[in-house]
Amino acid sequence: MRVFVTVGSTRFDRLVQWIVWDKVLDVLRDNGYTDVVIQCGSMGFQRLPGNGATSFESRGCNIQVYRFKPSLEQDYDAADLVISHAGSGTILDVLRKPKPLIAIVNDSLLDNHQKELADALSALGHIKTLRDAIHDIGQDTLIPFPPLDGSRFRMILDREMGYDV
Amino acid sequence: MISSTAGLLSAVLCIAIWRSLVAFRPLGPRTRKSTETCSIAVFLGSGGHTSEMLTMVSTLDFSRYADRTYILSEGDLLSAEKAKSLERTKAHNSKKSPQPCTILRIPRARRVKQSILTTPFTAAVSLLRCVHLLTIAPLFGGPPVPDVLLLNGPGTCVVLCLAVLFNRLLGLPSPRMIYVESFARVKSLSQSGKLLQYIVDSFVVQWPQALAGIRKGVFHGWLV
Repeated sequence: MRVFVTVGSTRFDRLVQWIVWDKVLDVLRDNGYTDVVIQCGSMGFQRLPGNGATSFESRGCNIQVYRFKPSLEQDYDAADLVISHAGSGTILDVLRKPKPLIAIVNDSLLDNHQKELADALSALGHIKTLRDAIHDIGQDTLIPFPPLDGSRFRMILDREMGYDV
Repeated sequence: MISSTAGLLSAVLCIAIWRSLVAFRPLGPRTRKSTETCSIAVFLGSGGHTSEMLTMVSTLDFSRYADRTYILSEGDLLSAEKAKSLERTKAHNSKKSPQPCTILRIPRARRVKQSILTTPFTAAVSLLRCVHLLTIAPLFGGPPVPDVLLLNGPGTCVVLCLAVLFNRLLGLPSPRMIYVESFARVKSLSQSGKLLQYIVDSFVVQWPQALAGIRKGVFHGWLV
């Protein structure tokens, strides 16, 4: 199985380093996740176990790393599990697939707002905090994320621009 | 001599105050026939800003918002790719050949993690480019000012708004400015949202909690 790790459009070195840590790779491998694809942002490849290589093997996992891609769509589709920063774009894309997602708040950003969104979505039951996930283990209690309602923004703009709606 | 200078100065001051008041007043509504088209400029702020904005733009009727310009920060290659990809998808879905759209680049007002001390300099360069785009070029036969400007942060879009205000100060045509706060902003506004709520013509938030304590704003559910 494949796990896809994404840090969004800036960087989240701590998440990437945690993923390639031996003990985490062991857990992934033991659970059948032997393919690990990492979108690492502007982090240097030298800081990874592959010593600058974009494709390497570590602890029985095949790891591929890249910095950015125009679209992560194919990587989401090919993944069995997504581990990401808690950015709104990533959360929306992955929950609408829908694919299982573990999102980690990146608290190194200026004026951090990832925690606020994660808290609000978990209050609505669309995602779970780690504490609740452990508490509810074995029960599927998440509320599916609603699809995009395209009529809303269309109506707002049409009204703003003076069209009859 | 002194009295005429004083008279002239006070006249200039009065005009300046009057124009400033006009510039900060939101544009009034204007009705359009359903067949009329609109030109639209969309600021793409990279990362989550771009993906939220393009999701919203994807819901629009492209035959109505026919003349589209995407404004993005210099060096933001991903947003340009994503905008082109949206244009292709929309053309494909409506079984038309892709319509021309314009992609413009402006220098970033502030980079992620850039120091507060150097920000005024990069912001000034960015502002000059925006004034050129929205004020000077349209006066000298360049592309006309769009009917509407959609914004959702980050910092560089504040600079675009300042250029629009400049047009209003001078009494030149200006686009209607619509700011949509990010889906990620639940209880508090972003820095650009905090500033722009006083300037834009329409301010939209995506969580009801975000309306608390702000000067003006509307909530119509999640837009992304």
